[in-house]
Amino acid sequence: MVKGFKTYSVIMGLMMALLLSGCKTEHRFIKKVAFKGDDGIVVTFAASVDDGWAKDISNFIVSEKPDPDIMLDIKDTALNSDRTKLTISFKDSLNQNMPHILTIKGIISKGRPQGTATLTVKKLYFGYLLSILIGAMIINNFVFTKYLGLCVFFGTSQKKSTAVGMGITFTFVIVFASLMSWFLYQFVLKPFRLDYLQIVVFIGMVSLSVQGADTILRKVNPALFKAFGVYLVLVIANCIILAVPLILADNEYNMLESFMLALGAGIGFLIALFLMSSVRERLEFANVPVSYRGLPIAFIVAGLFALSFMGFSGMSIF
Amino acid sequence: MREIIKITVALTISCLLAGIVMGSVFIVTAKAKKHNEHLNTQQTMIGLLGYGKTRSAPSGLKLYNIYRYIITEGESKYLGYMLSVKKGDGTGYELLVLDLKGQFVSRHSLDILPENTIDPEDRKTALKSVLTPPVTISYADTTIVASLNDKRIAYLLPGEFPGFKTFIKAMLALDGDFKILGLEIIEHEEDPGLGGEIEQEYFKNQFKDKLFEKIKKLKVIKEPLPEKYRKYLEKRKWKKGHFSKEDIAVIQKNYQDKDIYALTGATISSVSVTNGIRNMIIKFAYRIKILDNVIASRNVPVSY
Amino acid sequence: MAETTKTNIQLFINGLLNENPIFRLALSMCPAVGISTTVMNGLLLGVAVIFVQVFSSCTIALIKDYIHPRIRIPTYTLTIATWVTVIDLVLSAYFPVAYKAMGIFVRLIVAFAIITMRLEVFASRNRVITSFWDGMGMGFGFLLGMIVLGSIRELIGMGTLLGYDILGFRPLLFFVLPAAGFFLIGFIMAIFNYVEIVYKRKTK
Repeated sequence: MVKGFKTYSVIMGLMMALLLSGCKTEHRFIKKVAFKGDDGIVVTFAASVDDGWAKDISNFIVSEKPDPDIMLDIKDTALNSDRTKLTISFKDSLNQNMPHILTIKGIISKGRPQGTATLTVKKLYFGYLLSILIGAMIINNFVFTKYLGLCVFFGTSQKKSTAVGMGITFTFVIVFASLMSWFLYQFVLKPFRLDYLQIVVFIGMVSLSVQGADTILRKVNPALFKAFGVYLVLVIANCIILAVPLILADNEYNMLESFMLALGAGIGFLIALFLMSSVRERLEFANVPVSYRGLPIAFIVAGLFALSFMGFSGMSIF
Repeated sequence: MREIIKITVALTISCLLAGIVMGSVFIVTAKAKKHNEHLNTQQTMIGLLGYGKTRSAPSGLKLYNIYRYIITEGESKYLGYMLSVKKGDGTGYELLVLDLKGQFVSRHSLDILPENTIDPEDRKTALKSVLTPPVTISYADTTIVASLNDKRIAYLLPGEFPGFKTFIKAMLALDGDFKILGLEIIEHEEDPGLGGEIEQEYFKNQFKDKLFEKIKKLKVIKEPLPEKYRKYLEKRKWKKGHFSKEDIAVIQKNYQDKDIYALTGATISSVSVTNGIRNMIIKFAYRIKILDNVIASRNVPVSY
Repeated sequence: MAETTKTNIQLFINGLLNENPIFRLALSMCPAVGISTTVMNGLLLGVAVIFVQVFSSCTIALIKDYIHPRIRIPTYTLTIATWVTVIDLVLSAYFPVAYKAMGIFVRLIVAFAIITMRLEVFASRNRVITSFWDGMGMGFGFLLGMIVLGSIRELIGMGTLLGYDILGFRPLLFFVLPAAGFFLIGFIMAIFNYVEIVYKRKTK
């Protein structure tokens, strides 16, 4: 219990650090800069700025990061009552998925110049991470939307207890294996241009993780091993555990993003298993035609779930 | 102990063998891959210009690549254009550096063979050798200028923009006044049957013949595609005598100024493609004007 | 299990019908649902699987006497991974359009339980030629399953077969969606079951 609490607080600490780092800016006079609405940027200064300077829109240059030569058309600027918050409105709506570069020239506050600031405006990184997590968990659920991991899925979803056991074991192994694979990919495969060895290396990593988890669990917590040990072997036959490293290699995710992807995949698998097992347990008591008993009806139930999960497609949270 | 040694040796040998097999296959296929990719892109480009199996490309048709780079030197950023220029009897490559406002900064002759310009690594090496460090060079995009008998007839723009699911890669063909000559969707991950329909002629061909002024305000309308317009758009299904020259002119006139009809059940994909193309064309038009101004004022002997 | 007594042709047909990987053994269902949207996709993935299965079976049958029993599974995995990498590289070089359509599934062949199982159950105990035919049977069984599923889904979903317009309209676009893949496999499995029950009843 204590160990869990420690990891939990470490994770929370990391997230807070990320959150705060998104807020600090690169200039001492500017406290915060963020997107506002569809077509605006809000800058918060450390002290009040002069009206005359703020009204001159030629002091502000904004462009999207990949296109520094194309300056966006500013409609006007507006200060709030105590002159510390400046809202810049644009003629067209902004593409908030791209980081924007904002250059503020010759800031004049209370008659004294404060210099020129170049800032990056982007959506909260934390939001981006959360969207990867929820994406892998629900919107792009690996079982119902990507049809991976089906063999194991149908094999262990007959009872709630096996389903939950499999789900939890799987989540742990996949997070560990993905992080290891990420390290190997970034520091061994890429620098040596050995990309084509991805498949072998990743599956090797997966087998090692399963083997490692098996040994560790046996020694550290035999009770837990009795409960979950059996599922460990099945993990390696699961397509998802190979798919996650392949995806994070293709998309060039960094460590935090890979962690989110793996966590989302694992939890999504757990959710899918849990839903499926709940239905299958009740199906045991239903009057299913003889030829459909067992796998066929399970497939049809899965099809219905897949249909309902389609409702999530296209959802974007941040 | 002996067991473990035996196992380790066996594993190492198997890994090495496997590595050799994979390595050799990789070397063999890598070259073929590049070659095939290049062929495919060439075919798409020639198809967009209106040539193909039925009308073979004339010998005077030449394609020139302009590679755009973003050069960062400390706090300042510059645009670098790698162009093909006339050098004596043949062609060479030059780097033209402009600042963010479009003013000429510098001009450098590049030491690179024309056939090596396809390789991004070779290009980077050539660029790095003419710029004084410390600089960061990042590749932005490529524009292809098509010229027939030394006269500029079209621009080909490969581009990538976000779609409903991940990215959509497309190639646009524009004429000298930035009117759309054609659109080709090269890669996408949209749902087959829904968003995947952006590959179909009745969607792609709606963009054809749209003028620049209309493109700047192009939107998507959620109305069903009129039957006659659909028949006109699906060029591949035309039978002899289906559309007379007058019919075609009338339809073109009617629909040239219309917005894009959305795909059934795939509004977001349609909007993504329309927005992506609109942005591509607006940005390109802005940049090519600046580049042409600098080329003219500095008398750069470009091949096109 | 001792060395098999079936003839080569019997092995082949076994893989196709009796022990068809998709419909009878219920293995490798992931691609069956995801890739069988068109016949062409199913065909290409089926060919890739045949390639990997046959080569892996033959390789293991060749070196079965040199494999240390404790590293059986890693050896199988390494063999399969090597051949999957090979076919992955070949496909992406010579058939880029098809390769993109199959997405991640070509590389996932390495996780297909069917191939590992086949190596463990068959190739490690039989000669090269017999393993070759068994591998072909399994591979073709998979291919058959993919083609059957693919044709039904493509015909009813898009009205085309292999890209050629057959019906000229689209009866039920729903069939191209993945959910339909689940339904279809469920139905076909039920049909196989039903046929088996009737057959058993008749022979009683």
